[in-house]
Amino acid sequence: MSLLSQSIASGILIGGLYALMSLGMSLNWGVLKIINLAHFSFILLSAYVTYELASVYGWDPFLAILITVPLFGLGGMALQWAFERFRISEFESLLLTFGLFIIFESLASTVWSADFRRIDSAANPYASSSLKIGAISLSIPTLSAFVLAVAIAFGTRYLLDQTHFGRAVRALAHDREIAGAFGVDHRKVSMQLAGLAGAYAALAGVFIAMSSSLFPGIAVEWFGIVFSVVILGGLGSTMGTLLAGIIIGTVGAVATVTWGPSTAPLVVFLILIATLLFKPDGLLGAKGGV
Amino acid sequence: MTSTNRNTSLITLTIAVILWFMPTFRETLDYPVFFLLFGYTLFFWIAQASSWNTFTGFSGYFSFGQGAFFGAGVYAVAVLAVKRDWPLLLTFLVGGIVAAAIGLIIGVVVFRLRELRGEIFALMTLAVAFVMASIARVSPTIDGGQGAPVNNVPLPDFLGDFPTMIFRLGLIVATLAVIAAQWVQRSRLGWGLFSIRDDEDVAETLGVPTFRYKITALLITAFIAGLSGAIHSLQIGYVTIEDVFSIRVPLFVILMSILGGTKHWMGPVVGAIVVVTLNDRLNRAGFQEISDFITGGLLILMIVAVKEGLYLRMRTRPARTAIGFVAGLAIGLALGALDESLITLLAYGLGIAVLAVMLPLSWFARGRSAEAEAKVASHG
Amino acid sequence: MADLRFARIGKRFGGIRALDGVDGHVDDGEILGLVGPNGSGKSTLINVLSGHYEADEGTITYGDANLTDLPPHRIIETGLARTYQIPRPFSTMTALENVSVPFMFGANPLPPPVARESAMEWLSFTGLEGLANEPIDSLNLHQLKYLELARALAARPKLLFLDEVLSGLNPTEITASIEMVRRIHASGITLVIVEHLVRVVTELASRIMVLDRGTVIADGDPKVVMQDDAVVTAYLGKRSRRAEG
Repeated sequence: MSLLSQSIASGILIGGLYALMSLGMSLNWGVLKIINLAHFSFILLSAYVTYELASVYGWDPFLAILITVPLFGLGGMALQWAFERFRISEFESLLLTFGLFIIFESLASTVWSADFRRIDSAANPYASSSLKIGAISLSIPTLSAFVLAVAIAFGTRYLLDQTHFGRAVRALAHDREIAGAFGVDHRKVSMQLAGLAGAYAALAGVFIAMSSSLFPGIAVEWFGIVFSVVILGGLGSTMGTLLAGIIIGTVGAVATVTWGPSTAPLVVFLILIATLLFKPDGLLGAKGGV
Repeated sequence: MTSTNRNTSLITLTIAVILWFMPTFRETLDYPVFFLLFGYTLFFWIAQASSWNTFTGFSGYFSFGQGAFFGAGVYAVAVLAVKRDWPLLLTFLVGGIVAAAIGLIIGVVVFRLRELRGEIFALMTLAVAFVMASIARVSPTIDGGQGAPVNNVPLPDFLGDFPTMIFRLGLIVATLAVIAAQWVQRSRLGWGLFSIRDDEDVAETLGVPTFRYKITALLITAFIAGLSGAIHSLQIGYVTIEDVFSIRVPLFVILMSILGGTKHWMGPVVGAIVVVTLNDRLNRAGFQEISDFITGGLLILMIVAVKEGLYLRMRTRPARTAIGFVAGLAIGLALGALDESLITLLAYGLGIAVLAVMLPLSWFARGRSAEAEAKVASHG
Repeated sequence: MADLRFARIGKRFGGIRALDGVDGHVDDGEILGLVGPNGSGKSTLINVLSGHYEADEGTITYGDANLTDLPPHRIIETGLARTYQIPRPFSTMTALENVSVPFMFGANPLPPPVARESAMEWLSFTGLEGLANEPIDSLNLHQLKYLELARALAARPKLLFLDEVLSGLNPTEITASIEMVRRIHASGITLVIVEHLVRVVTELASRIMVLDRGTVIADGDPKVVMQDDAVVTAYLGKRSRRAEG
């Protein structure tokens, strides 16, 4: 039984990381109508930058946030600027960012090679440390990612509900033209939101670098998980994304201990298909997102 | 929409017949065996891209399911021919049928949804490919995560030695895919699909049986993709889930079709020829990474600047295409490309022709729109 | 006789009842005017009768055919066609190709090359023959409305719903369009016209049906109906309050 409770606990924690990976994707898609596959590249590159800073320059992995968050925040803004400049439709964004995804993946394999990379345990004391609560042990990187994901989800919720920026974002999500008529500068607001999404990707990357091995092809493996979380949560829904991340993480972990590790993706993808068929707006999503 | 008629298909068939005898005269013509394998790669991608485009390009419903259809074909051979000793040619057919059955299930389930958004369909096809990969990994009957060898099946000897056989099998499927695309484009089915792409509600009220047409097109796509995958298992030799269900197949069919243009059957053919030739040469020269950069960059460039695709642009600019191609050949010859291979020379010709129709025209278009904006400004 | 009959038609959008127990009929050969204030359910009724929306309740028959549960692509086979208020052409096709599509489907489908030739006739009928091979984005609103008409006629209907064919046109274009509507009727096609311009409807229609908040409040001879008290309060009353009329 302790195996099951241990796996549920780790599942919930890893679910927080999934939510962190998915949140920016969900905002991009729900509000800006951009299906941004480069989001996966941002996570990947952020992880590699963290690896580089920790392994080569001996930084504490947590400090990598100081570099990656501004870097990929700006990256998100730059991309959004280009999307507006070339009037990219939702559908074209998928193809265009697919192109970017390939470029970034091959950039990663040019710089860091196609081999597995992992921060040396000397430079990354967190990887092997864990918090023990009774019989259950919680790994520090995933625990921090979980705590941060919860904080960010609530923070974003607050930002969208309570601030001027949030009202502008919601207006944008519902109808871009009407938002414009009410004086919302959609270019500015969308760039800010895309910057936020990029920053979330950067954070996710830092925690991935701390907790697992990296190789360029790993980004493709995130597709299934992240899309499942984004769709299950509902496009643009922050709380939905958090909830969906935890559900997917837990279900995957339980499937792993019950039927073996290779069944976890199967269960996750079946959840994705069921959501698409029976609840395409997601758990907490309304049409138009946010 | 540009039309195509029966003569187009006759010409296609004639070319296919001529190509069929290419291996027969290999010693007379004195070309390396590698040409046959290059030809096969070309045929494989033409078949995959054309079949993808017959559903997605014509109907507008974006599918990431090509990998699932292709994978069904690959594993039909890996399981039935290798583990169960079924006759190889029969398993090819089964591969196509299994893929079509998967297409049918996706179509019947998804197209029944009342409010189907295009992205939902796209994600659904992606999820189906993921599910199939997971099933193959879990099930020891299919793969079990170990991979499966397909290099010791008895090959039919009436098709010649391995390079000749794979060349001819690839040729058959590519011809089938292209002729199917031509037929769809000129038939009632094609017009129904085009109207679905433009406005599905209006199409339905004007009498287009939209549900049936989408399913039919998806079946054609899936069957050909599966058949082509089944044959490709022989070329792979050792089948693994990671390779078969990787994002590579859907990615490349999308790239080729978008590059060539999705609104005409020639689009995917042109796209496949350009991408395969350039990729092959870059990889051979040891520039694997550069070739990925170019692949991604081309996709971005097409979306931003050349939305109608290369083929339609080449048709509106035939002189530019021809001059670019000839100039490319000349540059290639000057650099001694022929010493390496005829394919290198072809790569030069195609590369320069593509540049010639793409870059200057987009500059020209931008200049013109700037002019138009200036005009509006001066009026206001 | 192929009369269109519909009974107890109901349609909801969320909590709003757009149509509430609408009964009515369209007789062979007539021009029925469908009028009512904004949001009265005129367009919804056309959308339901042409199969664009599925009715929540009620029955629709046309001659011997029961249309109630038919999918839209089968409804057109019985001889019912419609135009859209805001033109919805197939945007990647030329004008000629737009009109040739309905010829390939419906009760007597033609092979694509033949459909193309037949399409040319209706393009000429609407005066668009000079634009046959033009892309759609080069047509103005007036031409798009005519294209919408030509495409509906290409479905070879016996009964045609015209959803605000005159809206957005200038007075000269309106006069020309009214003439066009008369010619279509003269060719033997029963018409149902939805229109904001009451003057035009009373002039064209042989019978008028007035909708208000999803129910029929009057049905009969144009001159009599437009004098009806309920109609004056519900419809004209509201209109007269508006400065622009």
